[in-house]
Amino acid sequence: MNLLRALLHLAGVFLSAYILTAEIAQAAGVRNKKQKIARFLDTENHTNNWAVLVCTSRFWFNYRHIANTLSMYRTVKRMGIPDSHIILMLADDMACNPRNCYPATVYDHPKKTTDLYGDNVEVDYRGYEVTVENFIRLLTGRVEAHTPRNKRLLTDDKSNVFIYMTGHGGEDFLKFQDAEEVNSYDIADAMQQMWEKKRYREILFMIDTCQANTMFSKFYSPNVLSIGSSDKGENSYSYFHDRDIGVSVIDRFTYYNLDFFESVDMSSKHTIADMIGTYNTSLIHSHPGVRTDLYARELQKTYLTDFFGAVQEVELTTKPFPIGNKQAST
Amino acid sequence: MALGDKLRALFARRRRQPRTVISMHRERQVAVFSILLLLLVGLPLWWTTTRVYRADLPSEKVNLFAPENAFEVPLIFYIDTESPLSADKAQLIQTNTQALIDAERASFAVGEWRVRYLVDVRVGAAPDAPGHYTLYLRADDATTTASISVGSDRSATISVTQSIVAEDILPELISSIVINEEQAVRGKDTKARKKSQSSHAAVNYAPEYSITLTLLNEDPVNGAVVDWEIEQAVDAYLKPFVDKISPLTKLSLSSQILHHAGSPPVVPLRANNQSYLTPEMLPHFVNSPSWNFASIDPISPMLNFLLFVPELTSQPMHIADEKGDIQSSEAFLVSQWGGVAIANLPDTTRPGDRVKLSKTDMQKYMGYYIAQLRQLIGIRSGTPLPQHGSRARKGSISRIDTRLATETGISDWEFDALLRQWLIRNRQTAITTLQSLVRLVNSLQNMVVMDEIKAQVDKSLEALYKAEQALTDILSLDSSRFHHSYQHAFESAAAATAFAETAFFDPSMVSMLYFPDQHKYAIYMPFFLPVAIPVLAAIKRIISERRRNKAIAAGVDSADHAAKKSN
Repeated sequence: MNLLRALLHLAGVFLSAYILTAEIAQAAGVRNKKQKIARFLDTENHTNNWAVLVCTSRFWFNYRHIANTLSMYRTVKRMGIPDSHIILMLADDMACNPRNCYPATVYDHPKKTTDLYGDNVEVDYRGYEVTVENFIRLLTGRVEAHTPRNKRLLTDDKSNVFIYMTGHGGEDFLKFQDAEEVNSYDIADAMQQMWEKKRYREILFMIDTCQANTMFSKFYSPNVLSIGSSDKGENSYSYFHDRDIGVSVIDRFTYYNLDFFESVDMSSKHTIADMIGTYNTSLIHSHPGVRTDLYARELQKTYLTDFFGAVQEVELTTKPFPIGNKQAST
Repeated sequence: MALGDKLRALFARRRRQPRTVISMHRERQVAVFSILLLLLVGLPLWWTTTRVYRADLPSEKVNLFAPENAFEVPLIFYIDTESPLSADKAQLIQTNTQALIDAERASFAVGEWRVRYLVDVRVGAAPDAPGHYTLYLRADDATTTASISVGSDRSATISVTQSIVAEDILPELISSIVINEEQAVRGKDTKARKKSQSSHAAVNYAPEYSITLTLLNEDPVNGAVVDWEIEQAVDAYLKPFVDKISPLTKLSLSSQILHHAGSPPVVPLRANNQSYLTPEMLPHFVNSPSWNFASIDPISPMLNFLLFVPELTSQPMHIADEKGDIQSSEAFLVSQWGGVAIANLPDTTRPGDRVKLSKTDMQKYMGYYIAQLRQLIGIRSGTPLPQHGSRARKGSISRIDTRLATETGISDWEFDALLRQWLIRNRQTAITTLQSLVRLVNSLQNMVVMDEIKAQVDKSLEALYKAEQALTDILSLDSSRFHHSYQHAFESAAAATAFAETAFFDPSMVSMLYFPDQHKYAIYMPFFLPVAIPVLAAIKRIISERRRNKAIAAGVDSADHAAKKSN
């Protein structure tokens, strides 16, 4: 009997020692990696913007998550990112939900001034296609060979990528479809794989969920700027409740972001710092977090149009090539 | 209740049965055997079934490629003079050229991946193959200095006075050609890139590009119904380019007409009976949500060329610069996206007219598209030498004329330069992709690595070695077999990139990589706890029995002792 007790004690000591060393090793590893990150950035080398907008929630009572994502979609499109560069993932279809008393529409405000669904929405991943696997495949580019173009993130080292996620989450995870969850480690690894293959120049990661700031705490790849809606241990709250539709139609954090974007257009000189400056904890009811240690540029010099606008460089073609002419020499 | 009673009776009966030594012995054996079985069979089974399969990637071989080890690309110049040149002189020219290049190279910024061009000078006529160039040296007493005319084939004619000797002028010329290109090719050196006039417009190499030509008619109701002779125009002007470049990349063409296209997302300004687009408008011009340029091709990079026919009320439409001055050109290039040309219809056009843009009308627009396509693909202007002799400071070369390849749109010099540029880029891409893959696989220990991935990595390495071998073959003297080694090197490098990317983007390498310890306990507990409890109980019984036996033995011993003592 004593021997058994001693064995159990021994096992307990081993287990706690293992956990302790593992934690220390991990912490040390993170610190090393942070130091190693190269801060080199060729600021001119930027030719296109991409947006990945993800709503991970199903069911009618999660109407607001669809509305969040569609509002973001409208905004990035208005700012000039073409549909071909927007990957929109919606886990459910609220416009066609039988409980929707305004069929074929989605609104983000009780006043119902703009129909977010409108006539020009290109949903790239819908319903049960929105899975953790598909999301990670999209980011890392490891899609099946037959995947169509609109389901691929065809970015390169000259692309700035805006990733927006919303849904129900907790510490270090975000629930997908009520069935599975993506955790912060996997997103961090996916981003590192993107960096290794030069699939982005800069990433702006924005997430609106409960305990959102934990989701980007594990990132370790360079040139990633992250913004989350709430601290660890905090909930993110919904905003407008629509009495006709019967559910909340938008979340507070997303609402105040969009509110700021209303004052911004394609040629705006507003910076990310301006946007973060408008966050008001008493209105949002949670503490938005910003992680800048991986990001090389100053937020005051990072224009919103760096991530949201159309950044095409244009050049005048001065004269046609004398094709088909008999003889030409310059 | 009845069952409980029965069970109780059964246990009571068993307990009443005398325990024989044999039954106790067997029970112990069974317990010990089950523990051993668990350890011997269970542990290896558990280990093999939960192990992540990881093929052994040839990481040492991959990491042997280092940026400092320069990649050597040979260029071979054949000199054709009126009086035959001796081999010694050719050798002298080569030595002088190399010296000039080395001197110039020392001033270069160090690129990320080093490239070194080698020069070989030979006498005679060059074979018609990439990498082999003929320099004709012709005496011309009419000129006082040297003038060069560069042909659209792989040749250049140098007209010199008798007083200038080949050994002086040729090293200068050859080194300028080589340095001009080497500087531009040097990786991510921004200074060099600015100098070489290439912008970010160029797209990365792909084995195929899908090119879409779109006629956008803003308003056919209040304007004209516009059609174009696109097939004839493509056959006449674009097809030669496509055919010429086909050994390097495939350009697949498609065309469409969008009637009722609607207005662009910018509103052109109107003054003096003409409308114009300002430079701020141009970047947004192509972003109309109602213009559909979607391609059916899933991965090839798309290049779009638009011919925009504005509605009659905003014709003629021009492009103005910052000051508002109208430019003569009506076309602009959008980096990495494509090009736009604006078609203004004749003044006499009335609403409802049918207008067909004929092949000859299209020549101008096709000329714009060729100019834009050249830039998008990465053909540098000033190949092999900048037009106005930036090297005139050296004095001996006064004029450089370059023949434009008006039949195809790309001269042989430009073709070769593009081949070398893509060859070097592809080699770098393949190497960096392989190295990233190796790094990733090492850092993510939970990632499955299948044998197919190893096979692709091996193929990619093999192709890289082949490319290098092909380039060294060119320099060997009995080289008639190796005339097309340039092409082979290019193809091998492209294949190396393709294999490396297939390996990197293998769909099997996506799994849930992070598996927290809590989850491991949660999964193993239900499996092992039910097995562990009886086993642990048996161990406990064995131990306690042994102890009891010892105690009994000791008791007997001490009793004996006591008995002996009392005796």
